[in-house]
Amino acid sequence: MPRIVLFLLLLLLPVLSPFATAQQAGQGLTEVTDRPPSPDFLLTDMDGNRHRLSEYRGRVVIINFWATWCPPCRAEMPSMQRAWEQLKKEGILMFGIDVGEDEDTIFQFTANYPVEFPLLMDQDSSVIGQWPVRGLPTTFVVDPEGRIAYRAIGGREWDDPELLVLVRALKR
Amino acid sequence: MALSLFIAVVLSGSAAAEVSATKDPQTGLRTWEWGQAGVKFQLVQRLPDQTRAFFQGRGFSSANADTIARSCVFQTIFRNAGKAPLSYDLDDWILTHKGKTRSLQTRERWDEVWRTRDVGQGPRIAFRWSLLPTRQQFEPGDYNWGMTSFGLPPGERFDLSLRLTLDGKVIDGRIPAITCAADRPQGID
Repeated sequence: MPRIVLFLLLLLLPVLSPFATAQQAGQGLTEVTDRPPSPDFLLTDMDGNRHRLSEYRGRVVIINFWATWCPPCRAEMPSMQRAWEQLKKEGILMFGIDVGEDEDTIFQFTANYPVEFPLLMDQDSSVIGQWPVRGLPTTFVVDPEGRIAYRAIGGREWDDPELLVLVRALKR
Repeated sequence: MALSLFIAVVLSGSAAAEVSATKDPQTGLRTWEWGQAGVKFQLVQRLPDQTRAFFQGRGFSSANADTIARSCVFQTIFRNAGKAPLSYDLDDWILTHKGKTRSLQTRERWDEVWRTRDVGQGPRIAFRWSLLPTRQQFEPGDYNWGMTSFGLPPGERFDLSLRLTLDGKVIDGRIPAITCAADRPQGID
């Protein structure tokens, strides 16, 4: 009898722990086959520097739309930082675009989630409205010609070598 | 995380779909999950107090946060861990409550509410992005978290008929006997 109970429990394990599945990162990047032009933006980062996307033509740019209250956004931040530590030496750029929050809120967030790549502020959500985003987080990889090459809806493990191969392959 | 006290696995209308309901023994909060072909849709009860606190923290007045909190809000996780593209439109979904059918309170329906009240831009932006997108297309590996609101008072029970398109084929599913979290401590019932 105990073996039967154990067997049934093993069968039910996926049902018993939905959160284990829920907290897994998503997988892979979706290739955007028609490579539409990326909408331009001019946004300020936490240090007051202004970034215009079109001025980064010739470089691969990872653009992550996020917010501090969004659980999967928070979950992927450490892996984005680890990816950034690899990619910045290779000339690849990464921007986190916070949607709708102020500098103080983001600053408090970075005390617990220290990241070194620029965090830009889209306080009135005018930039995200120009991009094909329906939910947070959504991340795009822009190729050196300024076109959207890949998209990921939901968090990822951004330092996954298989994922970074795709990003690096976009370099000229 | 172990969820165990209450388990019910039933077959929905589609042969391959599976519906489960579980209860967290620590919090008393219930979760409903619908799955088929690698697609998982989960509804996790949110206590009205959780929702009040969240939206007050995003700049909503107490009265407006209470309106949201008392509209049967669930934390929702929608994941495409299958091998085919998936799309959905919450406007196609129907909930049945006491024999009557109604639609979900989507972002767009809430926007109409906020237009009639004095809600600032910041709270409206946070609200919009906190809710599960009304329409979405997931490639394999994609997922969203977001709140869903069913517009019913705390403690009410309803059935949800959901519809999605998977690899070009329309799939209808049903989750029976979903319960809005009560506006009181859980784990007593």
